[in-house]
Order: sequence, then C-alpha cells, then structure tokens
Amino acid sequence: MTPPSASSPTPPPAIPLIQRVVAILWPSFITAGIATIVFATVFDPKTLFMEYDFSRMAIYSVSFFLFWLMGVINAMSTCFFLMPCSIFNKCKTRQDAAAPE
Amino acid sequence: MSEAGFKPGVAVEIEQSLYSKRKKIYPRQVHGLFAALRTSGVVVLLGLYYIIPWLQWDDRQMVLFDLPVRKFYIFGMVFWPQDFFYLALLLIIAAMSLFFFTAVAGRLWCGYACPQTVWTEAFLWIERKIEGSRPQQMKRDKAPMSWNKFRVKASKHFIWIVFSLFTGLTFVGYFSPIRELTYNFFTFNNGPWEIFWIFFYGFATYGNAGWLREQVCTYMCPYARFQSVMIDNDTLVISYDAERGDPRGSRKRSADPKQQGLGDCIDCTICVQVCPTGIDIRDGLQYECIGCAACIDACDDVMDEMGYAKGLIRYTTENTLKGKVTHVFRPRTLAYGFILLVITFGAAYAMLNRTPLAFDMIRDRNTLYRETSDGLIENVYIVKIMNKDKRAHRYQLSVSGLDGISLRMDVDHIEVNSGEMVEIPVRAVVNSGAIHRRSNELSFKLVAEDVEDLAMTEDARFIGPLAER
Ligand code: SF4
Ligand code: SF4
Repeated sequence: MTPPSASSPTPPPAIPLIQRVVAILWPSFITAGIATIVFATVFDPKTLFMEYDFSRMAIYSVSFFLFWLMGVINAMSTCFFLMPCSIFNKCKTRQDAAAPE
Repeated sequence: MSEAGFKPGVAVEIEQSLYSKRKKIYPRQVHGLFAALRTSGVVVLLGLYYIIPWLQWDDRQMVLFDLPVRKFYIFGMVFWPQDFFYLALLLIIAAMSLFFFTAVAGRLWCGYACPQTVWTEAFLWIERKIEGSRPQQMKRDKAPMSWNKFRVKASKHFIWIVFSLFTGLTFVGYFSPIRELTYNFFTFNNGPWEIFWIFFYGFATYGNAGWLREQVCTYMCPYARFQSVMIDNDTLVISYDAERGDPRGSRKRSADPKQQGLGDCIDCTICVQVCPTGIDIRDGLQYECIGCAACIDACDDVMDEMGYAKGLIRYTTENTLKGKVTHVFRPRTLAYGFILLVITFGAAYAMLNRTPLAFDMIRDRNTLYRETSDGLIENVYIVKIMNKDKRAHRYQLSVSGLDGISLRMDVDHIEVNSGEMVEIPVRAVVNSGAIHRRSNELSFKLVAEDVEDLAMTEDARFIGPLAER
C-alpha cells in the first residue's frame, strides 16, 4: 500500500452495486411519476389519441414507462460521462508507464 | 493500491469490492415505550391504508382518484385536473411539516410513519412469527439447505407475497373502484393494466419491505440525505450519553463501576442488535439512523436489569449533552412553524371558499360566423360545465358584450349532477348592426338558480363580418 500522493489519485470509496442501480432507476422513477402527473393534468389523453381506442389507464401507464425509460437513459448517460477519463486509457497512463511492474 | 486502481487486474479486484454484498441485518425484537408507539403507528397507518378505500360516501367510494374518468373524490368533494393547485398546496404543507418536525425532534417521520418503516415492521413481524427470533434466524441462514429450512423460507415468502399482492390490490383500489376491482380480481376479469399495477406495486412492496429494507433509507431516500440540514444542536435526537457510558466494559451486576473505572455502558451490544439499520449509536449520530428509538428501549431494559438509571441512550439534544441550554423556540422552529401555519390556513381557506363550479366556453373552430335565416349573425360555442359540488344544480347561462346579443340553446336550464360534466352547444346571435369590429369580446355568465352566490363568468370571442357601415 503506497501512501496516496497528489499525483496518484486514490480509488474512490466503494459504492455498492445496489446504490448504483438505485441511483439510476430511482430518481428516474420519481421524475417519471411527476411527469406523468403533469401530463395527465394538462392533457386529456382521450382527446390526444382520439383516433385510437386506448383506455386512459393504458395511456397513463405507457406514458409513465416511456418517461421512466427516458429518465433511465438520461441517468445512465450522466453516469457514463462522469466516469473518470483514466478508465478509458486502460493501463496506458503516464504513471503506469513510468511505474516498474 | 492507489495507483494500481488503473491496472486491469487490480481494477477487477476493486470492482468486486465496489459490488460488495450487504451484510444482512437481523433486528432483534424490542419491547418498551417506543416499540409500543411504533407498533400502534403501524397498526393505525396500515389499518387506514387497507380500510379507507372500502368506505363509502353518498353511495360512492369515499376516497377515489378515478383516473379513467379524470376525477378525484375525497370525502364529499370532487376534484378535477384543473384543481391541481390544491394538490400542490397539500404537497407544500407536507414538506413544511416535515421540516418543522425534523427541526424539533429529528427523524420522527422515519421512525414512526414512513411507509418504508411501517411495511418493514409488518414484514419483520411476519418473519418473526415464521422464522423465530434473531438467533434462530441467524442459525437457520448459516445452516445448509434442508427440507425444514426450505419449508420455513418458502412459507415466509408465500405469506409475504400474498400480503404484498393484497397491498397492491388495495393500492390500485385507490384509483379504480375497489369493490369491482376485487371482485374482478378473484374472477380473473381485471383489465390488463389493473393486473399489471397490482403486481407491480405488490412486487415493489415485497422487494422494499422484504429484501431492501434499510437500504431504501440509505440509498433511495432523499429526505435521509438532506435531513441533517434541518437538524441543529437544539434538535431532539437519539443519542448515546458518552459522558455517562464511557469507558465501556462488562462487569458483574454487583460490582461498582466507579471502582473499576467504568462508565454505565456494559458493552452488551444489545443496542446494535436491535438496530434495523445495523449501526452502533454509540459512535454518535449517523446518517443511517432512522430515529426508530429501538436502541432506547433496548438499553433502558439493560439499565433496569443492572439497576442503573434509564436513559443512557435517549432523546436529547446536542446542547444538553454538552451541558448547555436547549432552545425549543429558536429562529428555525419559529420560522418553519410560522410558514406551516400560514400555508395551512391559506389552503384551508382556499378549500372552503372554493367555487364548486368550473365552466369553459369554447368557440367552434370550424366556422367563423354564420348568418341565420332571420338575418342575425351567429357564433357557435360549446359550453362545458363541471359541477364540483356535493349535490346537483341547475344553472342559467347569459351573455353580454354586444348590444342586443342573446343566446339560443336547445334546453332552457342546464342541470348538472354532482361530480358530472356536461357539454352543450350554444349559439350566440346578434343583429349585424351591433357589430363594429371583426372580433368582439363577450362575457358569459353562469348562475346557479337554486343557490345564492354560485356564479362564474368566462370570456370568449365573437367573430363577425367586418362592420358594414
Ligand atoms: S445497550 Fe446500553 S449498555 Fe448495552 S452496549 Fe448499548 S449502550 Fe451499552
Ligand atoms: S441507532 Fe437506534 S434509533 Fe437509530 S436506527 Fe438504530 S436502533 Fe433506531
């Protein structure tokens, strides 16, 4: 165990799998809920999809899951772009090149 | 290992530790004042949850958020999507009370009222009934799979799942009339989406209360993460009195701790064993602590047993522990309390003085205007009237804004039942001489005939031919 120095970042504290999964699924679930409520308040889905014979329950449910899916995509991309750049360099970092194996 | 984080081999190792499995927590059962309070909270809240949808009010479900017809019934009142404002007010009140109670006494909500706590308690109760006490559960989990273990586990999950499905059914019963729903459920006649939501909510209950438990509080709850902002040194929180308890150590009941140089904590770790989030309160106030007070009850028992004074772990404030004065009335509680009162009264006022009527005039978009056979200029509208009152009303519609304008309708009076909406075509006719502009502002007035002071006005445009001078 080498003492951490300014040039060698310490790995971040462990984040349990469940926390990662939850961090993506859960906030998007909540925003999907809010979005569905707003959507249902502003539009009457029956008039929006007049030409089709969907029940309101079906439209609300499907819209909820679409919103949720959007949120999940959003959260996943945020996490993806937050990944430290070094991960993409694999072992070809300058420090690694300098460090004797 | 710091640099090694970037090397694939070690990275795998770190990945594994990142995905470390949670240690299962077996909360030990507690008895005592707070346990009794919590249990009564669970019984009352669950009771309300399961009973409310079955109650009737004027031959309709008392509380029903009828999504299929976009109407919300709460007691005698009918709300429409247009009344969203009241829902927003309600949410603000809920948030403010949460702030207020957190400032006064910490996570009261979490410990006694949060659905997560309430259902987890219920699930724990079932688990204890089937699997036995904490040591029995731990022993069984360590043992290899056997017929007996399988039987016990299977029956636990079976009961959990039945209970969860019942919970899901009740939940959907708030949105779709529960009597029909339940009847259809047992005769396999529910719509696909109803079935889906019953199972979805049931599954969420089973997962959250049976499996995730304290992880919901730790990882999913936003309140848990920001509650510390509302807590200060004057807030009542559950704390271990280190001054009195330390140094910890086991001793004989007859021994005098002072002589042995020990504090009052006998280091029995009962407080840790009862904790549903698996923390040691003696390490100080922690983010994971949901304020359930199980450790208070447990430690008080131990203190009794030892013949010491109760309250080694207790509701107290940081200031008291430091020997300072605690201020219950301080800017924070006063401010939260004041805002809460103002909004609550405002909301109650708005609710009581709500006009139980909504109406809308929609101009027929297909035709601008029409000339009638008797030489008048006519515009067509749809009048939409929602009666949000507890009883039926008769309304009369009138119009003003152009000289001599009058209304033609197929009916004389408009009758609308409680909680219903009607749409009626209305024609406004006026002599072309009265029209001086292409677009004119009309004011429609709807008056209830059978009660005083129930009236509303609504503006709409009247399109005419360009003035023929
Ligand atoms: S229950 Fe009380 S005596 Fe026992 S370890 Fe906890 S604080 Fe100490
Ligand atoms: S530390 Fe005590 S009050 Fe906090 S969660 Fe654990 S048992 Fe409950």
